[in-house]
Amino acid sequence: MTNLSRRDFLKLARAGFLWLSGALTLGGLIRFLDFEPNPAPKTEFDLGPAANYPLPSRTLLADPPAVLWHTESGFSAMSLACTHLGCTLEDGADGFTCPCHASRFDADGRVTHGPAAQPLSALRIEMTDDNNLILHTD
Amino acid sequence: MQTNRPLTFDFRLLLGSGLLFVVLSLAWFLDARQPDAVELIPTLTGKPEYCLTCHADLPEISASHPVETFGCVSCHGGERLALDADLAHSTMRGGANPSDLSVAEASCGGSSCHSGSEADDRHHIQRVMTSIQSTYAGAIAGIRYTFGAQTDLNAHLGIRAVTDEETKTGITSLSSFDPASEENPFVQKFGENCLTCHINAAPREGEAYARGTGCAACHSTGEHTLSTAIPYTQCNACHNRGNYDLRTMTFIERSDHPTQRIDDYYQPIGLFTRCEYTLDCVDCHTRSEVMGDGDIHKDQASIEYVQCRTCHGTLEELPLTRTLTDPNDIAFKLDFLNPVMDLKLGDTILVTEKGEPLWNIRVLPDGTYEMIGKATRQYFTFRPVMGTACEQKPDEQESHYCHECHAVEK
Repeated sequence: MTNLSRRDFLKLARAGFLWLSGALTLGGLIRFLDFEPNPAPKTEFDLGPAANYPLPSRTLLADPPAVLWHTESGFSAMSLACTHLGCTLEDGADGFTCPCHASRFDADGRVTHGPAAQPLSALRIEMTDDNNLILHTD
Repeated sequence: MQTNRPLTFDFRLLLGSGLLFVVLSLAWFLDARQPDAVELIPTLTGKPEYCLTCHADLPEISASHPVETFGCVSCHGGERLALDADLAHSTMRGGANPSDLSVAEASCGGSSCHSGSEADDRHHIQRVMTSIQSTYAGAIAGIRYTFGAQTDLNAHLGIRAVTDEETKTGITSLSSFDPASEENPFVQKFGENCLTCHINAAPREGEAYARGTGCAACHSTGEHTLSTAIPYTQCNACHNRGNYDLRTMTFIERSDHPTQRIDDYYQPIGLFTRCEYTLDCVDCHTRSEVMGDGDIHKDQASIEYVQCRTCHGTLEELPLTRTLTDPNDIAFKLDFLNPVMDLKLGDTILVTEKGEPLWNIRVLPDGTYEMIGKATRQYFTFRPVMGTACEQKPDEQESHYCHECHAVEK
């Protein structure tokens, strides 16, 4: 068994401390740089393969709140954020209702009852090369 | 000596690296104890905020203000990106109460929210600012008139200066009441001791008086809760808590400890009918009576108008009614905010002489009425006075005449 001299022990301990300190510093730096406190709102949402939405279909999306249609004319989408203050609308038999302040919209997004004054927004749908659907909210 | 130098240097390096390691480990440890930042991007603002990092346990404030839509900062203010409590709270509006009238316009206002047009029935803040509950104009005028500080009983002063350029009452403005500038010592003392009941006054000490200020004085019925289902106990934080002694200009707290609902009301000479001590205040008193109608009124009596006959009619007339044919009728909005009735088009409800809906009272096919308590959701039925054995004289229709037969002696 090799006898570790006092000097070698000090060197080894010092190197150990420095490596560990370096690792802690690097970890902290990565954690710091990785945290984005004020990110821009997300405007693109991957809806997955288009095949998940057969023809014809009407799908309610949770994030972002929207309704996605697949018809003979293709894919189309409409926001289900109330144009009054942004609450998520509830789907009903004759359109959409805001659970916050009772605004109502018909199935095509036209206002039938205030306080909302603007119709629901149409959202853009993009099909990627690998047949994924991307929903754009901007 | 020479052989010791390198060792000392190595030893110092070791101490330095060890110290660095300890400091960094301590920093990691302390950082690991901090809660993970919880980000919320409200749909209304689209701007991230981190308030839920510490406040995720708060209940939803109301169904009309979901946190996913409004977030916290829209109403409360504060530094939305801060994770340090002191920094995050440093710019909050109204401390913990953004509805205090000093900041309510910034917190609750806006044309889409609570300071919109009268036509859209969104002038809530204007109504509150001009209401008797916040001007206290009648009490101020009464005291000043009594002690010779003014020559009539008209309202000239309010708790704060307020204007109403489109007045229907003839009062276009009130100046601010400043007790220090009053000459009469009784009026001064009134100002010092008796201004604890207007809704923006800090409440008196004690659990019985506990309430918020501003909108929260009435609508905050629990921790972080806003509601239009306001129980009478909320009103009792100001009302029925005692009486003012005008000789000493002091407030005399009630000393009893009521165990029955009827005794919760505290007017020694008051007489109360069963519905008055069974229902909640908001079941009879309308929104314009309680929250104001947007006009400055001279005193409580000039805004309060609901009488027994409003719901019960008289021997000769049934109470006023309205059949709901317009989906935009205000009754539907009020029922939506506090869904106790499930009103439908075609329902007939009672209305007041000013056309305000008593939307929780519906006419039944047999000509009687059903009512559901706005706060208790208790179900009641009652009938009109017409056709009963009531012997009231036609010219005696105020509620105090009804009390003569129907009130319970205390």
